[in-house]
Amino acid sequence: MPTTTSNTTRDRFTRLASQWKEESVHMSNTAQMAMLRSYQQIIGMGDPAIPLLLEELQREPDHWFWALEVITSENPVPPEANGRIDDMAQAWINWGRQKGYIA
Amino acid sequence: MDPHPDFPRLTAANHRDTSPQERRYNCIAWAVEDTEHWWQPGVYWRPPDWPIDEYGLGALERLFLTLGYEDCGMDWSLEPGYLKVALYASGGFVYTHAARQLPTGQWTSKLGKSVDIEHDTPDAIAGGLYGEVMQIMKRAVQKND
Repeated sequence: MPTTTSNTTRDRFTRLASQWKEESVHMSNTAQMAMLRSYQQIIGMGDPAIPLLLEELQREPDHWFWALEVITSENPVPPEANGRIDDMAQAWINWGRQKGYIA
Repeated sequence: MDPHPDFPRLTAANHRDTSPQERRYNCIAWAVEDTEHWWQPGVYWRPPDWPIDEYGLGALERLFLTLGYEDCGMDWSLEPGYLKVALYASGGFVYTHAARQLPTGQWTSKLGKSVDIEHDTPDAIAGGLYGEVMQIMKRAVQKND
């Protein structure tokens, strides 16, 4: 169920996402990226993080797919998009629009 | 220039940036000359038949075995007629990186979501985030390489 996002939640997400991007910039293994504390804290935010993750994918596709899968228990990425970052991001963005998380 | 904490052995003298920052492909993709995909055994692209939760060095070894590479210990010397890749792992042997040897004997790496670089030896990018070089693999050059 889509929820509204408070400024406090958004500020916390922005800080953690920025930290994660800096910490993970040289990583190639997404398991390493997902184990970073900042990423785990975003997963721990639960449902309120969903629209923020989707907005982040709209702004700059990155490896938020693991977090979205864990929080939503869904994976809308079609097999032909596997490994193509922009296409994977678009699949999640389309999913978010269908579910009403983002406009 | 102070070394980046992720790459304590990298100096201005032993490497050069060779591309702008690009997040659509990773080091493994770059090692096999694919700039369209993010490669991660069992997760993204190839090989798909690998356990999704196994991130050990064996995942990378398996990937390169499926592409015709064979283990050659730690011999990163230039061997005419062969392509070589270096595999890296850190704490607990989680794989971290793959680098590819160029025909000049230099090495090329994609640094995660960042730039491509050329570096003098596989060791130049070790000692930090990527841990150490754990294995070198090679395969014979083919007509379509």
